[in-house]
Amino acid sequence: MRSSRHAIPCIALVTLTRAAPVDSIRVMASDEVKTRRFSRAEYDRLIELGVFQPGEPIELIGGELMVAEPQGAPHYTATQKTAKVLERAFGPGWTVRAQGPIGLDDDSEPEPDIAVVPGGPDDYGRAHPSRPALTVEVAESSLAIDRHHKGSVYARAGLADYWVLNLVDRVLEVYREPVPDRAARFGWRYARREVLDASARATPLAAPGSSITVSQLLP
Amino acid sequence: MKQAERPGLHRWTRREYGRLIDHGFLDEDDPIELLDGLLLLKEPQHSPHRTAVLLVAKAVERAFGEGWFVQTQSPIILDDRSEPEPDVCVVRGSARDYVDAHPTRPALIVEVAQSGLAIARGRKAAAYARARITDYWIVNLIDRVLEVHREPARPGPARRHWGYASIETLAADATVRPLAAPSMGVRVADLLP
Repeated sequence: MRSSRHAIPCIALVTLTRAAPVDSIRVMASDEVKTRRFSRAEYDRLIELGVFQPGEPIELIGGELMVAEPQGAPHYTATQKTAKVLERAFGPGWTVRAQGPIGLDDDSEPEPDIAVVPGGPDDYGRAHPSRPALTVEVAESSLAIDRHHKGSVYARAGLADYWVLNLVDRVLEVYREPVPDRAARFGWRYARREVLDASARATPLAAPGSSITVSQLLP
Repeated sequence: MKQAERPGLHRWTRREYGRLIDHGFLDEDDPIELLDGLLLLKEPQHSPHRTAVLLVAKAVERAFGEGWFVQTQSPIILDDRSEPEPDVCVVRGSARDYVDAHPTRPALIVEVAQSGLAIARGRKAAAYARARITDYWIVNLIDRVLEVHREPARPGPARRHWGYASIETLAADATVRPLAAPSMGVRVADLLP
């Protein structure tokens, strides 16, 4: 790294060791940046003030503002099919919410594709539900975020039953048993992960009498 | 659709950033800058960092002379999603020329970096190169060298990532000549705390 005494008197050219010119840069994502976090109270106020563009699909996950996956036709279809199937599986006494906000914790207000919550719509006229009995994310390009990022926040909040409907591999990933794990994005993860193919059957923890074939959910 | 670097993270526009400030979510003392839509937390100002900033400001002020002014840790506008606050930058004209709007195209940007070295070389270099900043220096406090980044470029078949094609690393005994003031040499030793 030191320049030689015999180098050109004004500018010393030194072998590059760490700073690399642009054509040798792989991706610039390796520098994990620290960004400003927002609390749920701040986030609610930002929405109230209309800071974001209307219709911008934003959700607050662990203090970070995330942009939801764009809704392609398969994603929308899967969400609708899942909502219908779960309404039947859970029956009366439950509400199936599609892309509605969940008041998860002090720095998270996600809008999962599907959340099944106890009671009727009027029970949440003053505050968003906070503990869905079943949470489902439909994932195409957002697979990694849904598994590790949201999965860690949902595990931290103690959500017992989390499903990722993986449209890439056409399987249902069922996550259960939240456990603390320092290595996880938000300090928690799910200890159990089951991958069910289209022909397999799944039973929500909170609707033990029901049985859903995975193909009923897939677009 | 999917963003290449931080998939899923919301990117703030300068307009939204301005509203955050107006509504008191951020104030001037917050160590935050908007870079490529991200609200980055700035490197903590320990004393070697602060000293280096003062040394750099003084040295480049001397090198550029009349017709330029030097601002430290103040905002500049790069594009719709970037309003960074570089440690030092040299801008044409006088401070009064920028009463109504922040400067947009400094002739030289200098960042002092210790814990923020990876960001200074990565994300910041990419944003500055994209904004066609032709002369970007990093005072690298870890190795006590000056990294001179020049020739903004977007190579590769995809041409998606901006960066600098030429990076020279200068040791303390070297002298650097700003592109916009080539007749005046600055000793790297004068920039180091």
